Amino acid sequence: MRAFSEKSSGIITSLDLKKRHVQIGYWCLFALLAVISTICLFPPLWVFMSSFKDLKEFLTVPPTIIPRSFHPEKVIEVWKTLRFATYYRNTIVMAIGELIFCIFVNGLAGYVISRLRPKGASLYYKLVLWTMMLPASISMVPLFKLFIDFPWLHFSMLNTYVPMWLMAGANAFNVMLFKNFFDTIPDSYVEAARIDGCSDLGIFAKIIMPLSVPILIVVAIFSVNFSWEAFFWPYLVIRDKKLDTVAVQLFKMKSSGFSEDKYMIALLFSILPPALVFIFFQKYMIQGITMSGIKG
Amino acid sequence: MKPTRRIAVKPAAGAPRERTNRWLNAFTRNGKAWMIVLPSVLLFYFIMWRPIAEGVFLSFFKLENYQAAGFVGFQNYREVLSDTLFLGALKNTFGYVFWSLLISFLPPIIIAVALNEMVHLKGLFKFSIYFPVIVPTVAAALIWYFLYLPGDGGILNMLRHSIGLKNSEWLQNPILTIPLIITSMTWRGCGTSMVLYLAALQGVNQELYEASTIDGAGFFLKLRYITFPHLSPIILLLLVRQIVGIFQVMVEPMTMTGGGPNNASLSLNLQGYNYAFVYFQPERALALNVITFVILLGITVFYFRLDKKLSI
Repeated sequence: MRAFSEKSSGIITSLDLKKRHVQIGYWCLFALLAVISTICLFPPLWVFMSSFKDLKEFLTVPPTIIPRSFHPEKVIEVWKTLRFATYYRNTIVMAIGELIFCIFVNGLAGYVISRLRPKGASLYYKLVLWTMMLPASISMVPLFKLFIDFPWLHFSMLNTYVPMWLMAGANAFNVMLFKNFFDTIPDSYVEAARIDGCSDLGIFAKIIMPLSVPILIVVAIFSVNFSWEAFFWPYLVIRDKKLDTVAVQLFKMKSSGFSEDKYMIALLFSILPPALVFIFFQKYMIQGITMSGIKG
Repeated sequence: MKPTRRIAVKPAAGAPRERTNRWLNAFTRNGKAWMIVLPSVLLFYFIMWRPIAEGVFLSFFKLENYQAAGFVGFQNYREVLSDTLFLGALKNTFGYVFWSLLISFLPPIIIAVALNEMVHLKGLFKFSIYFPVIVPTVAAALIWYFLYLPGDGGILNMLRHSIGLKNSEWLQNPILTIPLIITSMTWRGCGTSMVLYLAALQGVNQELYEASTIDGAGFFLKLRYITFPHLSPIILLLLVRQIVGIFQVMVEPMTMTGGGPNNASLSLNLQGYNYAFVYFQPERALALNVITFVILLGITVFYFRLDKKLSI
């Protein structure tokens, strides 16, 4: 157990903690956090544990929290019968496209605004930042119109993931993250490459990108998580069941009357991938939120 | 860090030819840079700016197949405002904001302050409290839908039994439905705000706390005079973000209740969605969304004026 004397942050100093009543207060806060943590973890844990119950146990009243029956084979069976492999594949295809658009379009915009600074770039940056302040709901119908019938060229993007890819390429937040990060790269690196005859795009690919790995990881994790949970636009744009993503399928299952035990397993499938990403990249994700929020 | 790329051009004031060269140089340099940023410009134009302008413009038209078919003035607005559901949806939306301020606003601040004090298990607590954030929105709404199941099969009803209470109708109770939806959203959204507050707390100069401890200040005095002033700008920012975000709530009621029972959880945006994609009256959806847009723009502008005053 760690000693109070190691305490280096917070309102209560290690000096305070020598007093008895401050210690009691500290453990009260500890208990509060323990309770809140339990509340936060209980629902996903409940889904996890319920996934292995059989239907009979599921329908018992009162419900059991800790399962009495254990059927891992059910999970595999539901994976096959509900065709989750297809939905996983679709979601991954959508996520990869979004990731490419997100990194290249927003990254290049950040690069030009931060480094090349052509005439009008600062005005452009301002216009981009404004879009973060504007409520998005007003664009719902016009965007749908755009996706079913693109102006002048008249083609439809229904039943493709292109709308979601395009939307990922117009992310003001990521432009800001990239721009702010590129600002911190020393000018001398870029100048040296330029004197060696490197082109603008060459500098982006060979100097800026390799130096931006931390921000790339943050943006990539957020982009992938965002795609995984994206529901509204895929739900509107994808009409073919074979192309559905995981989140959309989850929503549609509710109205098609699946038994609760199968539903639990579907929920498990939708939580598992982002949970694994979080467990492995926790540090980057929490760092990423911090980076973004303070400035936004 | 200004660009210093004019090495090649001699500073010859009088020579017109070299001046043209310099102009040409600058022109092509700007042009090249704009070529690189072109995909972003196009996407922002088509995805962000154009739809807003088009949304406002088309709200004054009758639509046929999403194409403008005849100017109707404020007709769509009149239809939306006289819809019997409008007042209810407006009231519910303010209800969502009210309950969210009551339920979701303080917990992340309290949790962040408490977490910042921890010497023991800090990492585990942070992990647990952030975990709901990574649960997809629809999945989170559905998990809570199952927890809130009425009847004897619901987990929360079972907990009520164990302390000797009768079954609750949960989401089916029109008075409870909004606060319960907000509770589930708080569960999911708390982690993000908590991390932001925590980052701000870590920016407080530790010597201030130490000095005031020596001066004999207790926990609450330090909280009031050191911690709170440091947090206030971010509290204001997150408050406005929360109001603007909750005002546009849609997916959660859509998933958990579908707007029911008896439209008790119908929000303005859900009504907009219904107009556009259930009743196929996109012009009404547009008019309704313009109304929401104006209300939210007002809140945002108010925030910026307040923020300017605060920073002075």
